[in-house]
Amino acid sequence: MRTIIFLLFAALMPGQAFAANQVALDNHVFVERVSTDAQGKQRILLEEPKVVVPGDRLVFVLNYRNAGAQPADKFVITNPLPSAVRFADAGDTRPQVSVDGGKQWGLLADLSIPMTDGTRRAAQPADVTHIRWAFQNPIPVGATGKLMFRGVVK
Amino acid sequence: MTSKLTYMGAIGLAALSSAAATPAFAAGTTAGTTITNTATVDYQVGGVTQGQQQAANSFIVDRKINLLVEEVGTVTTAVVPGQANAVTTFQLTNSSNETLDFALVASQIAGGTAAHGGTDTFNVNNIRIYRDNTVTGTVGSWDAGDTLITNYIDELVVDTAIRLFVVADIPTTSTVPAVVNGAVAGVTLRATAREGGLAGTQGAAITETTGANTAVKDTVFADVTPGVAGDAARDGSHSDDDDYTVQTATLAVTKTSRIISDPINSTTNPKLIPGAVIEYCIAVANTGSATATSVVINDPVPGQLTFNTGTILLGGTVTSGTCDFNGSAGGSYAAPNVSGTIASIAAGAASTLVFRATVN
Repeated sequence: MRTIIFLLFAALMPGQAFAANQVALDNHVFVERVSTDAQGKQRILLEEPKVVVPGDRLVFVLNYRNAGAQPADKFVITNPLPSAVRFADAGDTRPQVSVDGGKQWGLLADLSIPMTDGTRRAAQPADVTHIRWAFQNPIPVGATGKLMFRGVVK
Repeated sequence: MTSKLTYMGAIGLAALSSAAATPAFAAGTTAGTTITNTATVDYQVGGVTQGQQQAANSFIVDRKINLLVEEVGTVTTAVVPGQANAVTTFQLTNSSNETLDFALVASQIAGGTAAHGGTDTFNVNNIRIYRDNTVTGTVGSWDAGDTLITNYIDELVVDTAIRLFVVADIPTTSTVPAVVNGAVAGVTLRATAREGGLAGTQGAAITETTGANTAVKDTVFADVTPGVAGDAARDGSHSDDDDYTVQTATLAVTKTSRIISDPINSTTNPKLIPGAVIEYCIAVANTGSATATSVVINDPVPGQLTFNTGTILLGGTVTSGTCDFNGSAGGSYAAPNVSGTIASIAAGAASTLVFRATVN
């Protein structure tokens, strides 16, 4: 709700401290294919998602850049998981995740899922509904970075 | 672009550890589903919250054609010569991510090794395919309420398995001499995926998307494990074998006799003189694989002999090929024939009819 208000505010008062498109973000998805050569060595190829069938492993890559003239503070990237994709892992990017549609956030290892009998079980990667990276330090002017996570087509 | 490629290399290394953990999926997300991923950035500049930035991408889930035809149970179907409606059982599973039609063909293998080890030596007649009626009748077994399939299964939904029966008639030995005890006839059931979407009509043949991939829904044949001979991997078709094995009774008859007594020597070293009593044994041995039932034995008594009333014994035993001259009273005599019916002779067993007559 707050976001909407700010967006309205931005539209009405374009002068203030706003600088349009200060931050650039792009979002790519690749299909991860594993092939084994004659020596038994595994090769991993990332392909454009042209042929995608259930069970395929996907790699989502987010690139961000501070294109503005000032550092960007309280920088948070939020990515709800598409409903047809099951979360697998986020490499070493250590995101916070939510397993309840974005209400509560934490590291996957700290979250749990309520069971019908009133007990709770540890959250699994398949339970993840949202992923979020919250940066502690401001993003300097011109700085870039990449984030990634993996999923599987349900 | 350069930086992206560098990063992809790094992801590739990290993926090695997790690639083995790919979970087992059945059909999964429906073909044609668009998956859109959207990421949002919230940030502040100089303590003031800025407008959100969003980035999205989307792709379409392609069509994975996968199916499985498998024999139910791993035993041959035992049949007898001349048997009508001999049943073999199969299961068809649609593991694709779309509802499809499946063309069905039941055929006979020509020679070679059948599903359960024997060599195919004859063909069955009147081969048909039935789909099990899972509501009425005997569910899981063939019965008159099952649906006779003509050419195809209509609109089989995702992740669904149905039971199919290949039903055939076994020729008699007199029409097909190869139908003997132990003879094997192999059958193959093959299913081929066809386009679904139109109930009541067999859909068009499906071809795999070849060459350059397209942005719209492509088709991938995912039946990576081929079925039986003649079936290729990734051809949108799958098959399995089953077979019929003839199990029939093979009867061999032997007749032996012994002298019981004569009027002079009585039972001590009796000779075959007029008035001597002779005991006959007609032994029937079943060397086949099936029980023979209602075995009728008929033996005309020669004119030089007079049948001794009340001496017929039925169902006696044979020990090491020698008649034991035993059994229980039964049978009948209508001059000149002695006859009796043995209810059943199991595979590998023998039974006898015994009677006495006097030399004229």
